[in-house]
Amino acid sequence: MTNLVKSRLIKFLLSLIIVSIAVLIIIFNLRDNIIYFYGPTELLKNSDKQGQIMRLGGLVSVDSFQNETDSIFYFSITDGDNKIDVKYEGILPNLFAEDKGVVVEGVYMNDGRFIANKVLAKHDENYMPPEVIETLKKSGKWQGE
Amino acid sequence: MSLYIFYISNFLLLLCLTASLIQSSKIINNKIFTRPGIMMLAYVQLISILLSFLILIYLFLISDFNFDLVYFNSHSEKPLIYKFSGVWGNHEGSMLLWILILVLFNFLFALSRGISERFKEITVAIQSIMIFGFVAFLFFLSNPFTLNQNNFFDGIGLNPILQDPLLAIHPPVLYIGYVGFSLVFSLAIAGLITKEVDQQWASIVKPWVFSAWAFLTAGIALGSFWAYYELGWGGYWFWDPVENASLMPWIAATALIHCVLILQKRNVMQSWTIILAILTFSLSLVGTFLVRSGILNSVHTFASDPGRGLFILLFIFLILVFSFSLFAYNSEKINKIGSMGLVSRGTGIQINNWLLITILTIVFLGTMYPLATDLLLNKSLTVGPKYYSTTIAPIIILFLFFMFISPRLGWTDTKLYQIIIQLRYLVITSLTITLIISLYFELFNLTEILIIFFSLLLIISSLTASINFNKQNILVRTNLGQNLAHAGFGILMMAVVSNAVYSEERIYNAKVGDNLQLQKYIFSFDKIEQVEESNYNSLKAYFLMKKDGKLIDTFTPEIRFYSNPPTITSEASILHKFFSDIYLVMNVPQDQQSISVRMHIKPFMTILWLGTLMIIIGGIISASIRVGRLNEK
Repeated sequence: MTNLVKSRLIKFLLSLIIVSIAVLIIIFNLRDNIIYFYGPTELLKNSDKQGQIMRLGGLVSVDSFQNETDSIFYFSITDGDNKIDVKYEGILPNLFAEDKGVVVEGVYMNDGRFIANKVLAKHDENYMPPEVIETLKKSGKWQGE
Repeated sequence: MSLYIFYISNFLLLLCLTASLIQSSKIINNKIFTRPGIMMLAYVQLISILLSFLILIYLFLISDFNFDLVYFNSHSEKPLIYKFSGVWGNHEGSMLLWILILVLFNFLFALSRGISERFKEITVAIQSIMIFGFVAFLFFLSNPFTLNQNNFFDGIGLNPILQDPLLAIHPPVLYIGYVGFSLVFSLAIAGLITKEVDQQWASIVKPWVFSAWAFLTAGIALGSFWAYYELGWGGYWFWDPVENASLMPWIAATALIHCVLILQKRNVMQSWTIILAILTFSLSLVGTFLVRSGILNSVHTFASDPGRGLFILLFIFLILVFSFSLFAYNSEKINKIGSMGLVSRGTGIQINNWLLITILTIVFLGTMYPLATDLLLNKSLTVGPKYYSTTIAPIIILFLFFMFISPRLGWTDTKLYQIIIQLRYLVITSLTITLIISLYFELFNLTEILIIFFSLLLIISSLTASINFNKQNILVRTNLGQNLAHAGFGILMMAVVSNAVYSEERIYNAKVGDNLQLQKYIFSFDKIEQVEESNYNSLKAYFLMKKDGKLIDTFTPEIRFYSNPPTITSEASILHKFFSDIYLVMNVPQDQQSISVRMHIKPFMTILWLGTLMIIIGGIISASIRVGRLNEK
């Protein structure tokens, strides 16, 4: 092996090692920060997900909205088949309403309740989050095109 | 009348298509199409597209609802400026704007002097192949000039959240950035074909790549500024896929402009520069694709259509295959051996190039991973913003260090100890300031302290380097663009970190007469009233901000109710102070008695925008200094 080839080989291997370490670190960090999205039915099937931060989406079920105080709210999210009760403390977005699509972020507690710390804001009242459409399609309740 | 306009505008598009086809044929040195010359054809391309763009503006201004595009995206009661910006607030119009910028760059380059005729011909030909592709796409798949048979009385309207003066200029500025890299790409391919990627080539590329970069920076900044005060979430950057889509070409372009500089000065790194040029333009296209295709679930996506995304995807694929095969074929022939010391400015820039590519990879993985799992595993997920901040922060520390040290080194080998001795006062000063800051503000996170320390080093060293007197006490010309941009970046990083650490948020439900507290300020809820404007109604709340009993300012957050199309938006009320912004948003009352108010203190926002502005101005200065000093020792 000539010196040139040798030094190129060393350089190549060295950069390969550095790159793989970097990619590994990135991927591990990525896995730690992933927030999964579930619909109510899916979430009930995966009860082992309790205690994790996740997103839950569907329709706000009719007649489920209550407020305890000015800033603590209760409602349930449904995909037509199943319902999950949600407690949320904070500000509700302008377009939050019963029978409209919603996505919340928070923790699925072991008593089966979802404690939301974020209700994701959306732009216009006809907008339906793609995940919610997907959820409704899965449960066969989607009525759009 | 509408019918005539229909024929004329479609004729203009076909005219441009023909001219671009002839122009493209000049890539092979043929004898058939020596006439008309490239300048003549460039005129035809520019004028035909410019006219059709003006026609489209005219159609929006007179609200001609016989045209589908106007019907779907405009409304007769809309204020004039939004009829105007509605032209590019939709897919077809924004593609026409994209093409207009494409032909404009083509034309400006054809005008430039001092470039060999053959090289210019090839560059313009490649640019025209792209023009041909995009005009064909526009004409056949997303024609802005289509008529409908119905006599609509009025249009549907423009999404009210887009009815904002900033958003009227954000897309054109961003597009000039994106499309500017098309010319850089054409120049890179022309360089590969003629096998002349050398110092001369770098001097030709430099003004184009710097101006595209400056526009891209400004475009991203405008989008971020818009999100800050229009979305009403109190943030300026959300690591949203669409934001990432514009950040990725920016990162690649930042690496590229520095490589062009090394190439110009030392005649090294030819291959890498070419790869970056191809990468930057491909990422610009990916940016357009991601936003336009609608496959992203984003807060910024408007005017999207999945079918059309396929075309852009195919286009990106062809460009990558073509350019990398050409590269593989010719890359050995463009590499000439220049020289560069080991401990030198070039090495520092090279290291930062690698760091930039790492950051690019991080952003790319974070943006693409949810897409991949959604398409392949049918599993929806999101990547939290923490992924980006925790992964990128350590790299930023190294990046800031090399940004600070590299300009201090010469292009040839430099003795390290000399530099250390030179810099001792600078280091001591920055260290002291960092200590004071961290003790006074009780900041004990190592990453944050290090970012502030190296940012300070960078800011002070860049600013002092730009004010340089010679022995006769005359201000000498220095690298003002570079120093301004570098200092700006340091300021931006400091502001970003401090903003993240010291932002505060309070949420209240308030009735008229309530006094709310945020730090040392008291907000008295004075009154709430309804206001009628030409295109919306609004609910406006008045808060009097007091400190020690003295009135300082009045805040008027609003909720706007638009009717065309029906939408509700929250308008934040923001007080910009030099060291912090105070930010109030209100939401639709859940019951009639009270409203919900969110109050933020966002420190260093003004400084953050200032840093960004310095980066942009630095880029513009560097772009306008045309002749670089060759072979500088």
